Amino acid sequence: MSYTLTGRIQSRLVATLPPLLVALGIHRWWAIELVALMLVFGVALDICVYDRVLDYQPGWLAVPLGLLELGLIVLAIRMPVTWSSLGLYALGWVTAQICAHALFPRLRLEYAQSGGELERIGAFVAGAVAALTLAAVAGAVAVIPPTVHLHGVVQGPLLITHAQTLVGGTVRGGVVIRADHVTLKDVTVIGGEYGVNVEHAQHVMLDRVRLIRFKMDAVRALDAGLMVHRCSISTPATPLANGVLITYSMGRPMSMVEKCRIVGVREGVTTHSSMVDVVDNDVVGTTLHGISLSEMSMDTARGNHVEGARGVAILCMDHSMCDITHNTITGALVDGNQNPSRQGVAIESYFYAEAHLRHNTVVASPGGVKALDLGVFTE
Amino acid sequence: MRCAIVGSGLAALASYATLRHAGVPADEIAVFGTHADPTSVWRERASSIRQRRMRSESDGHLAAAGFPGLAVREGTASAVARSLTNRYHPTVDLFLEHAAGVRERSGWDASFVERRVAHVRAVDGGFLIDGEGQFAHVLIATGHPGLVHVPGAVHAYEPHDYAPQVAVIGAGMAAATEWRNARAAGSEVVSIRRREPVRRPLNVPRRYFSKRGLAGFHRLPPPARLAVLHELEQPSYPPGPEWDVDLTVADAPPPGFQVIAATGFRKGWREDAVLADLVATHDLATHDRLLDLAPDSTVPTLTDDRRTLSIAGVAARWAFPAADTIAGAKYAARAFTRRVCRTR
Repeated sequence: MSYTLTGRIQSRLVATLPPLLVALGIHRWWAIELVALMLVFGVALDICVYDRVLDYQPGWLAVPLGLLELGLIVLAIRMPVTWSSLGLYALGWVTAQICAHALFPRLRLEYAQSGGELERIGAFVAGAVAALTLAAVAGAVAVIPPTVHLHGVVQGPLLITHAQTLVGGTVRGGVVIRADHVTLKDVTVIGGEYGVNVEHAQHVMLDRVRLIRFKMDAVRALDAGLMVHRCSISTPATPLANGVLITYSMGRPMSMVEKCRIVGVREGVTTHSSMVDVVDNDVVGTTLHGISLSEMSMDTARGNHVEGARGVAILCMDHSMCDITHNTITGALVDGNQNPSRQGVAIESYFYAEAHLRHNTVVASPGGVKALDLGVFTE
Repeated sequence: MRCAIVGSGLAALASYATLRHAGVPADEIAVFGTHADPTSVWRERASSIRQRRMRSESDGHLAAAGFPGLAVREGTASAVARSLTNRYHPTVDLFLEHAAGVRERSGWDASFVERRVAHVRAVDGGFLIDGEGQFAHVLIATGHPGLVHVPGAVHAYEPHDYAPQVAVIGAGMAAATEWRNARAAGSEVVSIRRREPVRRPLNVPRRYFSKRGLAGFHRLPPPARLAVLHELEQPSYPPGPEWDVDLTVADAPPPGFQVIAATGFRKGWREDAVLADLVATHDLATHDRLLDLAPDSTVPTLTDDRRTLSIAGVAARWAFPAADTIAGAKYAARAFTRRVCRTR
């Protein structure tokens, strides 16, 4: 088809209506952002490139042009390529094809000979789509959680009950999070019963948080969904303090503990009745368990390095189902001689737990890999 | 009755289908023509040159809406894929079968009046068509005025067979088809041509089928527009190896050769009795062999808020360079329908 510039832009805007409605319907910022970017890049290309270069556009060209526009969006804003985002983009592309080849020619007989122009109703819808997209972006920007930069030392405990992002600084006495969409970034937390205590909240992000001198757990999550990324946990205030504890969170979105360094605590990462990915962490010198996945949890432990764990390095227990792969366990230590389950075991499946093992490396761990009390391993 | 279509060929059926699609009742349209079957004349010509596939593409059909096109109606993934790459050309059989369906569904036969129209006269608020009464809106789609015959030659669009030695006069689509036919029949083929043909997929470059090219075309002053149209009249046939035929080019038919005249049609409003009468009676503006038309294919001096005189088909090239194609027929038909609906 030989589009006029007006025809290209009107057709594009009207065909964006379905993905825009989907984006508004699912109420996700990434979706609104993606639709807005589809429009911005598309219209920019229409004006600057397509209208000048393409006197005539055969149907097949929609495929490479669609891939080009997707590539530009991904590169320009480093958009994470997820199935959801690809699906929404694909919806927009397919809708555009259906509109251009079937719907518009059906509804407006002169569509092709008018170069894709849609007359008054089409122009109105196109304008409405542009306005709606702008409004959606503006609305989404308006409700983005505020960012608070902490300076110096703040005396806690700090109670967070609204969505927000805290950046930098030091908090003494711990942080309590009781709101969704809270992010802590580059914050140091000193002391507190719990370093960070997340209760009944989800979409919580702890990014590069450093925790020391906590009394019970560095991070404790109860009925919560959170992402702990690149944390540093060390120097607990008591020998009974744990690293990351995620508990009774099965009803929340999955949690993740990734790329953390956890040193000298009782249990490095512990889960109870939760779904957690424990990935690429360094867990060193724990006194009870390195990583404990327990109480009907459904977890993954992948790519972790557990070093010098006393008793057990990685434990899957109590009816849990664990996917334990690509971990490296070195120097698990024997803990007394009474309990056979704590004889420097690298990976243990205990009490009706089912652990799937693959590609783990075990070094200098006298207890080896053990299944006890009806726990099993699968391969 | 409000509307009349003068002519009963493919352009007339496309116009009628478009009017009906827009909701104009059949009893408000009269179609005056000499053939009840709108495809009969075209069918005979296509059969004479043994045409199997259309030069047009998927949307080259006579229904009002472009979608679904003939590729979709063919119902194979291959047809759709070829359509997306502009390599789909429907078979003549599919085109005719679909045209028959359009004729039936549109109610063409209810509006058809068998009559050869001689005069269209403008009167206050409409037009008189011979003795058939007054019509507010008239579309003239009388088609090609006749064949250009060469003495001693059979015309390509008349039934014929192939001798062992064939000379084909002309270099357009019909000539190219005849070269292929004659070669397939085992004949030795000589091409007689005045100009070298252009190889292009459609009758005119694609931009002239849409506003993108038409807007500039309509802005041209008459001499420049005439020059463009003259340039576009150059004989052409599609590119592709299937059209490459081993033949000899000569200045005149060699002695003893069967001569086939693929010389097309007589051209210009003077060759069409209805248009010649109309121009003479109403002193219409013309440019050489072409009627002066508005961009929407109407005759400007005879069209106003209450009446419309539109021209469809080959005589409408001043408004649409590819007026003698199905796309051209629809171009005029849609503009005509818009005016009819606006004044309902």
